[in-house]
Amino acid sequence: MVHLIEIENYSWQYLNTPQEALKNINLKIEQGSFVGIIGPNGAGKTTLAYSMDGLIPGQYRGLKHGVVKIRGIEVEEYPRGRLQQMVGMVFSDPEAQFTAMTVEDELVFGMENLGMSLPEIRERLEWVTELTELKHLLLKPPYEISGGQKQRVALAAVLAMTPEVLILDEPTSMLDPVSRKRVFEVLQKLKQSQNTVIVIEHSLENLIPLADRMILLADGEIALDAETGEFFQRLDLLLEKGISPPGAMRFFYELTQKNLYHGRLPLTVDEAAALLRGAA
Amino acid sequence: MNTQTPFIRVSNLNYQYPDGTHALWDINLEIYEGEFIAFIGQNGSGKTTLSKCLNGLFKPTSGDVIVEDLNSKTSSIVQMVRRVGYVFQNPDHQLFNNNCWDEIAYGPRNIQLPEEQVKERVEEAAQVVGLPERYFSEHPFFLSKGLRQRVAIASILALRPKLIIVDEPTTGQDARQSFEIMDFLKDLNENHGHIIVIITHDMPIVAAYARRVVAMGQGRILADGPTAEVFKQTELLAQTFLEPPQITQLAQRVQDLGYDPGTLTVESMVAQHIALHASQDNP
Amino acid sequence: MNKTLLGYVPKESPIYFIHPFVKLYFLLVVSLFPMFITQPEVNLFIMAVILLLMIWSRVDLRILRIYVPVAIAMGWIILLSYTVLGGTHPEFELLAKVLGIKIYWERLRDGVVVYCRILPMIATMVFFLTTSRERDVIVAMRSVRIPFVVTYVFAMALRSSGMVLEDFQIVRQAEQARGFDTTGKSLGYKIRKYVMYMIPLFALSLRRTEEFTNALVARGYAFTGEAAKVKRADYILTHYSFKLHDGILVALISILFIIILTLRYGYNAFSLDSSLLINWLYQILR
Ligand SMILES: Nc1ncnc2c1ncn2[C@@H]1O[C@H](COP(=O)(O)OP(=O)(O)OP(=O)(O)O)[C@@H](O)[C@H]1O
Ligand SMILES: Nc1ncnc2c1ncn2[C@@H]1O[C@H](COP(=O)(O)OP(=O)(O)OP(=O)(O)O)[C@@H](O)[C@H]1O
Ligand SMILES: [Mg+2]
Ligand SMILES: [Mg+2]
Repeated sequence: MVHLIEIENYSWQYLNTPQEALKNINLKIEQGSFVGIIGPNGAGKTTLAYSMDGLIPGQYRGLKHGVVKIRGIEVEEYPRGRLQQMVGMVFSDPEAQFTAMTVEDELVFGMENLGMSLPEIRERLEWVTELTELKHLLLKPPYEISGGQKQRVALAAVLAMTPEVLILDEPTSMLDPVSRKRVFEVLQKLKQSQNTVIVIEHSLENLIPLADRMILLADGEIALDAETGEFFQRLDLLLEKGISPPGAMRFFYELTQKNLYHGRLPLTVDEAAALLRGAA
Repeated sequence: MNTQTPFIRVSNLNYQYPDGTHALWDINLEIYEGEFIAFIGQNGSGKTTLSKCLNGLFKPTSGDVIVEDLNSKTSSIVQMVRRVGYVFQNPDHQLFNNNCWDEIAYGPRNIQLPEEQVKERVEEAAQVVGLPERYFSEHPFFLSKGLRQRVAIASILALRPKLIIVDEPTTGQDARQSFEIMDFLKDLNENHGHIIVIITHDMPIVAAYARRVVAMGQGRILADGPTAEVFKQTELLAQTFLEPPQITQLAQRVQDLGYDPGTLTVESMVAQHIALHASQDNP
Repeated sequence: MNKTLLGYVPKESPIYFIHPFVKLYFLLVVSLFPMFITQPEVNLFIMAVILLLMIWSRVDLRILRIYVPVAIAMGWIILLSYTVLGGTHPEFELLAKVLGIKIYWERLRDGVVVYCRILPMIATMVFFLTTSRERDVIVAMRSVRIPFVVTYVFAMALRSSGMVLEDFQIVRQAEQARGFDTTGKSLGYKIRKYVMYMIPLFALSLRRTEEFTNALVARGYAFTGEAAKVKRADYILTHYSFKLHDGILVALISILFIIILTLRYGYNAFSLDSSLLINWLYQILR
């Protein structure tokens, strides 16, 4: 069977750097799955994302070994622009993503590239501005808005394209907690409609309830790759790699350490509250 | 709340951007010696704008910002930045020199210190933020995210402002880096006499480090008080798109079991849990 | 207010009733007028009209402050290059001899004429830049069916210069936040400091170029090849429609141009001899 994304024995080294940014990566991602990628700074998360979007090796120079295939075709073999119409990517630095001088142009640009019709563009623009609360900013330049608003524009521009595969590199790092939640609700809807979603995040609270599967990258290698529930039972490994779990989970981990609790660590506040009630 | 004279007094501050956006409405705020404050609030609520007003980058459209005895309207930017330092939301926005040394030395040179003292200040600032000497000749852009953030803070520190505002210090940093940066800000606050203001959306960080919280919404201050007090006002927080940290949410959920709804950290939750169960075990 | 290529226009302004194509047409045609007009006072009159148009469009006129030194500096450069650096011309009328440099009437006169020609051209450009946004230019070009690739290259150029301006602001704020202050300093000091701005800007723009191409590719934009063949919807065009008054304005501009050409070549109007200003200048200098 052909997987949506298939990465085999893949390594990448940026030109003029002493060591490989990614080493011997093996990864298969199925259509419709929701994958979280976490890891410390410099672990290679962004590099992996660029590799799946074809920006590496297309836009960067370096040494590649192994294979990265999307729908069974190697990324290099796609004509320029084609792969990216299928795989959308939200950058971690929103300003690096801007291509236009007004928010509206910014949001429409990708849809035009996809060849969408006018009514469709209008409808999606409406949807996405509603969702990210950008309506009152449409005529502003994307540079003259607040940090979080910039990030919403970057996110909205890619959401509007609704690509089959969506890769989000720290998409909510500058959003306020409620907006952050809202973004994850949208991602959940996308997941339900069989889009494949890959999220890179440092803050795990919202990611955990949605992700089917989590991958821990450390020093350019996959250190752990498991179904979400299983993944977090290895909390000692995560802590060792400098990952900070959400408060409720850490609370139960501390209890485990003190021999006050035995069993699975809860993934969400709901689960944690239920456990406390059960224990009481 | 406080009997001493404030370090900064903001009264009826309004600010409008050149395109007419009215970003701040009637802000009144006092900041005192020794404080560690967090500015929180939804996106676009005016936190960054307020900070830029505090260090004189933006002059009030109306109202006053008074730092010690200086009114920002009539003071030069040089006088202001020696008292109030602002570290930008995106550190890349403030790194523009060709190597880290020049980057940190830029401020002291600007205020016309002799080269002797410049050297002293750069070395001190680099040491405080933990930037090893081997990076001095490196170009800031090629450093890792964590180090870039440190260089950015060091470049402000070298001006030795009393008050340091750091705009989203932990955004994009992993947990270890975040704690290192925050511990370092805490050290500046406790041992070096700096007033610290952080702007952040990371509520666990606020809960763990800030002693006072200023919550903003739509260009106004909605709440201002001790951290635990502000986090108890769940409705008000929701209004400005905020929510307390997950551990506080959990404590509030199981409040009826005897947990304190003002719990801020995992450690205190664990302590309460132990106390509760000890009392249950031996009634 | 809305940000334009240079400066701001309020949200309510009569300029929005005008189709971008008319603005572009105005820029392209009206800036040609001075080429056919030698008489300085007519050119100055054109400039005054354009300034009035800016007021009518409710442009924030503070933006003009930055052009005043430019205009003055240019005046001096032209004057100097026409007089001091003008060389020796025995056939011209000698007005004075300063430090061994011969000042001729004809050279001085030509300097004034050229300067008065350049001013309205600049004013037209500034009028356009302060009342148009980047999207206006694209809409104007697209509405006359200029191929997308051409428009896009042009738009990219505009965008990248826009970004350089943004970066300029960013660096400026960063420098100020660290005590950089030019107020009350000498012009020489300011110029030296502006040179210092340029170095980080250069580094920034290199990085921007990389980011920018990444951003384009990541959004499925392809300049050539298969992906470039999609039919583009041109969504922004739907915000504008070419109305009757736009047609009338284009016609008026065209007619005015024809009138000027006719007067110039048919009736030899706008010549130097008929210029009151030049004659008056001659009277006092001689
Ligand atoms: N353009 C580049 N040129 C050279 N080296 C690079 C480049 N981009 C990243 N690297 C290096 O590759 C390694 C992996 O970086 P990457 O940006 O993928 O990490 P990351 O996991 O996304 O980190 P972060 O959490 O900080 O975003 C790092 O050592 C980094 O210095
Ligand atoms: N340069 C600018 N020109 C015009 N308006 C601006 C500019 N920068 C910000 N604004 C507007 O001013 C308001 C306040 O912005 P500010 O950057 O202070 O928000 P913030 O609280 O820092 O938000 P965030 O959490 O997203 O960083 C927002 O509505 C924003 O759109
Ligand atoms: Mg990254
Ligand atoms: Mg901000």
